[in-house]
Amino acid sequence: MPTYLRLEVVRMFRDRRFTFFTLAVPVAFYLLWASVFKGNGTEPKTGLDIQTYLMVSMASFGAIGASLSTTGQRFAAERASGWLRQLQTTPLRPWAVVTGRTVASMVLALPAILLVSLVAVAVEGVRVDPLHWVLMVVLMWIASLPFAALGILIGCLAGPDSAQPITLGAYFALSILGGLWMPVSQLPSALRTIAVWTPSNRFGNLGWTLVSGHAPTATTALVLVAWTAGLGALAIPAYRRTLRAR
Amino acid sequence: MDAITVTNVAKSYGTVRAVASLDLTIPAGQTLALLGPNGAGKSTTISMLVGLARPDAGAVEVFGDDPATAVARGRVGAMLQDGALVEGLTVKEVVGFVRGLYPEPLPLAEILATADLTDLAGRRADKLSGGQRQRVRFALAIAGAPKLLVLDEPTAAMDVESRRTFWASMRAYAAGGRTILFATHYMEEADENADRIVVMAGGRIVADGSAAEIKSRSGTRTVRFTLGDQSAAGLDLLEGVTGIEIRGTTAILTSTDADATTAGLYRTGLTVRDLEVRGADLEEAFLNLTTDQS
Repeated sequence: MPTYLRLEVVRMFRDRRFTFFTLAVPVAFYLLWASVFKGNGTEPKTGLDIQTYLMVSMASFGAIGASLSTTGQRFAAERASGWLRQLQTTPLRPWAVVTGRTVASMVLALPAILLVSLVAVAVEGVRVDPLHWVLMVVLMWIASLPFAALGILIGCLAGPDSAQPITLGAYFALSILGGLWMPVSQLPSALRTIAVWTPSNRFGNLGWTLVSGHAPTATTALVLVAWTAGLGALAIPAYRRTLRAR
Repeated sequence: MDAITVTNVAKSYGTVRAVASLDLTIPAGQTLALLGPNGAGKSTTISMLVGLARPDAGAVEVFGDDPATAVARGRVGAMLQDGALVEGLTVKEVVGFVRGLYPEPLPLAEILATADLTDLAGRRADKLSGGQRQRVRFALAIAGAPKLLVLDEPTAAMDVESRRTFWASMRAYAAGGRTILFATHYMEEADENADRIVVMAGGRIVADGSAAEIKSRSGTRTVRFTLGDQSAAGLDLLEGVTGIEIRGTTAILTSTDADATTAGLYRTGLTVRDLEVRGADLEEAFLNLTTDQS
């Protein structure tokens, strides 16, 4: 499994498109929104100033993007090309492939979280207690797990051509419902009810609560754990099934 | 010890019966060719041997274990028909990676040399030509020094020269006392490279033996002679004749009883010159065996 993990991380960093979309895009969006909304005071619900609030939003946006793009479409393409079947004729077991991919996707979500929060501190002068900052980075990193599981599930179920639009659709839906582009309070009321149960909203919440020095609620933790367990429980059998289907 | 035992195995995909009551035992150290037309059940059999498909009925054992266990223990290496290469890695990296998954792999330099890849080691594997990619896939199959090597139509997409070098590599690997099973629909590949040939058609084994045995078992002979400008009318009525072909000035009769056909031929009053009676070649034997089934 560690060998497979290393292989996947090396492959992703060689992909310029991946590096651009998961690192440059969230940083650029952060800088753009931070300058557009500069001086608008604080976000009412969390009490955070706009620059800090957006730091968490865009770090979440970047991490979700990295998790989904290391899995979804790539996994579907490798499935279609026969590489995954080839892998299953080696001693590497199906659970190790799914676990390796999930961990790889988490490893690749970390740079997005780190880079956005470093730019926020260095360029926008965001001031966060170092301990809170570290807690935020580490816990958000772990909490990116359900998005990796979602990506693998899409990669197992969708064809190589439909996997990309499905992944993008899920990415945008999760970002909007999660309140990462605009606060959830700005959404229509029907969407607001759904929003609080999305993993992306809880993901953002985790970050916003941690930077403001509070402990995340048990509901937030439970929702994230439930999504991880549920999607993981679907992804492993889906993967086994794809190996057999011919 | 037997490398593979397949006992009364059946496998269907939906309503399509891919394999029907298959029995096959392969002793360790044998090189066996699985010969048959498309749809004969070769790939399905291979999928079950490497643990990618489970039989609906019957049992498959690889070195006494369930195939998935044998694969997990690093005893199997496979080159599947659709096993593409992963993007973004060099030949050396991808071979090194697969090598690292096995408990007792071959040295990297030896793998690259056997697969004739030493000069391509630093190149991106996904940017190679079709024939070169097949060599990389062969390298992946042998990387772990598996006791059983399974190859599904390994020379598809190779030119004549690549095929020749490929089979030389395969024989070099087999020489270490390893068991090899390869599927092909090229008769001459089976004839030249296998100790034993198993012919499949319609999901069943229709013949099993050495190349010579299979040729004789099909039971047909060809009777050829120079017909010149004489009429071929009536030749198809001779005793034993099952087919007739005129190639230029030569007549070729396929017969199930060459003696009777020859005797009858002299009674026709034709001038028979350059008479030749031959056993069918492997290709004809193969066609005879497989067309009965479909």
